[in-house]
Amino acid sequence: MNIYIGAENIISPLGSTAEENFGALSKNSSGIKKTEAAGFDKKSIFFSRFAENTNDFSFDALLKNCLKNVRSKISPDIFSSEKTLLILSTTKGDIKSENVNPIGKSVSELQNSFELKHAPIVVSNACASGVIAINTAANFIRAGVYETIIVAGCDVISDFVTYGFECLFAISDKPCAPFDKNRTGITLGEGCAAVVLSSHKTIFNVEPMRFIEGTSGNDANHISGPSRTGEGLYRTVKKTLELAGITEKDIDFISAHGTATVFNDDMESVAFDRLNMQHIPLNSLKGYYGHTLGAAGIIETAICLQSMRNNTLIKSMGFEEEGTVKKINIISENKKLSLETVLKTSSGFGGVNASLLLKKS
Amino acid sequence: MNHLSSYCHISTKEIVTDKGALLFDNTEGLEVNDFLKTVYKKLAIDYPKFYKMDSLSKAAFLGVELLKKENAALAEYADDEIALLFANSNASEDTDKKFVNSYAEEHAPSPSLFVYTLPSILMGELAIRNKWYGESLFVILQKFDAAFFADYCNMILLRNAKACICGWIEITEGKTEAFIFLAEKNGNENNTPLTKQTIEKIYKTIMKQSRPSKV
Repeated sequence: MNIYIGAENIISPLGSTAEENFGALSKNSSGIKKTEAAGFDKKSIFFSRFAENTNDFSFDALLKNCLKNVRSKISPDIFSSEKTLLILSTTKGDIKSENVNPIGKSVSELQNSFELKHAPIVVSNACASGVIAINTAANFIRAGVYETIIVAGCDVISDFVTYGFECLFAISDKPCAPFDKNRTGITLGEGCAAVVLSSHKTIFNVEPMRFIEGTSGNDANHISGPSRTGEGLYRTVKKTLELAGITEKDIDFISAHGTATVFNDDMESVAFDRLNMQHIPLNSLKGYYGHTLGAAGIIETAICLQSMRNNTLIKSMGFEEEGTVKKINIISENKKLSLETVLKTSSGFGGVNASLLLKKS
Repeated sequence: MNHLSSYCHISTKEIVTDKGALLFDNTEGLEVNDFLKTVYKKLAIDYPKFYKMDSLSKAAFLGVELLKKENAALAEYADDEIALLFANSNASEDTDKKFVNSYAEEHAPSPSLFVYTLPSILMGELAIRNKWYGESLFVILQKFDAAFFADYCNMILLRNAKACICGWIEITEGKTEAFIFLAEKNGNENNTPLTKQTIEKIYKTIMKQSRPSKV
């Protein structure tokens, strides 16, 4: 069975459609800016965040607007079909200090406003949530449980998450610099994105790509530190390639995770080296979007689809000088390249890693 | 045909398994964290990392230890053949509240609490304990959904795993519930078939059993 993926949309500080976002990346514009007095001790912090004092960018509004756009890109009757499911990917939903359990309400509202037949499922797998949500959707379609699944990812910046990463000393004091020698940590970001997976090619208004395979794997090493050997990432990519029946030679581009912490980026370089993928062009989009947590995997997959449509590799923003344990091929400027097969990877707390393969249809 | 081989249920009142035995009866009315620590001691497990886990991870850890005790065959699987599927309706609410308290009341955001403010961390703990490198998924559902567990398990057992440990696990103020079961591809013919109906039936039986309080 072929599984198609398309109708992608992104709402981020860089734009409110996938095309606007890709346009900003093509100009190497970053959404990262300094916010004064945002930290626990009122120090200034770099974020990729929306303009404040507007409700247009609340967790619920982002999802609603993003899904409205997606709905206009596929056949009109799909959202309310018995054979359609909505999967949400988020780490903390609309968390506020005074309300730590806001996800259920958002989910019910979405089900009502889009007249969905089934209650949406929320995937919560730390920073690998987005890729795992897409893989879960593909598995459900392959097993015949659903025909079309809309996968949306959203996370917003909150005191909760900011103070959390601050107390782990994980936040960079400058815009994050994935895979760069002088990287010092993450920059948090916010945003929302969605893609549609379906066994029916004809539901898409614009030619979709194909979803080939996707798997996840655990490091079995540490709950908040990446494995030194990249074991989980190595295993998931290997498994995904095996199921797809292809080798690393077939991959044109890797959209990596690249959070810009010292240990994460080293871990990824080790895993890609073990996979003989050190020569394949690779980027991280965190230098444009910051780390959007549960939205990251969906935003980055949507940009993979845009890169494939435009046959364009996007520069890995923030990378100046090599400085990972193993040398990898980081994209240092935008360039044109025919992209047939693309690998997307994510890694997160709890030692979870995930990968998926996309191909032109 | 995939099978539901074994299960256990943990509440603050007691722990029961499919063998029917009341393994631990919390007659003293201990609060959840203390009850789970008592169970850990009685099981005579030597794994000091247990003490730093949040209650969600502790409950999942103990549930899986009990399943392992009653299913020696679990040790026979390769290290990436066991998938994990856990779900609840409240994510990590209990730990989230404690983390909010650490910065809002105590003015010292706690890193050891923050790392547990993702419910999927419990699967990381299980992976580390057992050296399992397989698939894992955590989902938030509005309520227990037997169809979701059956659909996902039957799907993941097609190609990605040979066994799947599933759990519905909720710990919030005043409520503790962990229903953990083992689904296997090559289960015994005498086992329960893995369907929405059988999962639903077991869940309902457990809920009924655990309702009346002990005199």
